[in-house]
Amino acid sequence: MKVQEFMTTNIKFVDAEESAYDAIEKMVDRRIRSLVVRFNKKNIEHGVITARDVVFKVLAKGLDPKKIRVSDIASKPILSIEQSMSIKEAAALMERSNIARIFVEKSKNIIGVISMVDLMDASLIMRARGENVF
Amino acid sequence: MFFDKILSHDKKEQRVIENIREHIKLLCTACNTFRLGIGKNNRKLINDVAELERKGDSIRREIISNIYNGAFLPYLRPDLCKFVEIVDRVFDLIEDAAFLYLSMEIPEHANREENKASFFMGIPEPVKNECGRVTFLNVRICEMLLITFEAMLKGEDLSEKTLAIRIYEKKIDDIKFNILEEIRKIDIDNFWEGKIVSDFIAAITRVSDIIEDASDHIQIISVSMR
Repeated sequence: MKVQEFMTTNIKFVDAEESAYDAIEKMVDRRIRSLVVRFNKKNIEHGVITARDVVFKVLAKGLDPKKIRVSDIASKPILSIEQSMSIKEAAALMERSNIARIFVEKSKNIIGVISMVDLMDASLIMRARGENVF
Repeated sequence: MFFDKILSHDKKEQRVIENIREHIKLLCTACNTFRLGIGKNNRKLINDVAELERKGDSIRREIISNIYNGAFLPYLRPDLCKFVEIVDRVFDLIEDAAFLYLSMEIPEHANREENKASFFMGIPEPVKNECGRVTFLNVRICEMLLITFEAMLKGEDLSEKTLAIRIYEKKIDDIKFNILEEIRKIDIDNFWEGKIVSDFIAAITRVSDIIEDASDHIQIISVSMR
């Protein structure tokens, strides 16, 4: 099974210069837990900001999210894979890198994301189809 | 075989089972033909969907007729008929989606001559990829229904199979919400243009709901035979 079959394409972007509060608003409004961060206008470089970054790097420390820039708390660079890679390869990379999500790209553009839940869903379907999972 | 316990000794039941299997396989073919037709923007493939729907209708009639001619114990007949009717509703939906797709012509103000050779119809560009993904997952969920049906015949536990169907259904639902979010941003020139696009999206995203109903029904049949 390829990652393109099970990726989530509902990805949203935030500019590195925006505040952590802007990122929080986007996450809350869209009910998502991570945003892809654009570090320059050409969109070549990407980072990621997650709900975890917001909680532990800003809110838990009592900092004002309006005064913290996204670039201060985002992780960079992001790990990404080609859409034609298999779920198995994506899972191995996530385990090796100890990360909860991996982005999917096509011709250098981010087109989706595979999360742990997506991996679990894909694995359950492979089991039901009688295919080898991992 | 699980069904052996409730089969009489003539071959009516076996024929019904073979026909149901063929019916679901035909549904997989119809979904895949539709997917390929959309992917390649191929009018012939899209027209083939209607032909497959007619074949599906004929198999459904044969199944119902065999059931009411005495195949299976009477208490099982309504559930089997209901299952076949549910699968048939998916054929109808795919056929509707195929007709709607063919209705999506380039609007009059666009340069029809320029577009005629390569692209005389189509899904709005911002949702084209997502619609393609839905048609692909529709093929997968139909295959999963067949796997579930085969598992029922063998008397296997169906819980993991029906869970897989629910996962597919949820995935398609998520994509539907993405499509609906994007589609609102598209300018529509007239009522019918908008209605056709809206009905098309509703049809392709409803397939998984009905397959989920069908898988629930397989579960009911399986339980009622224990």
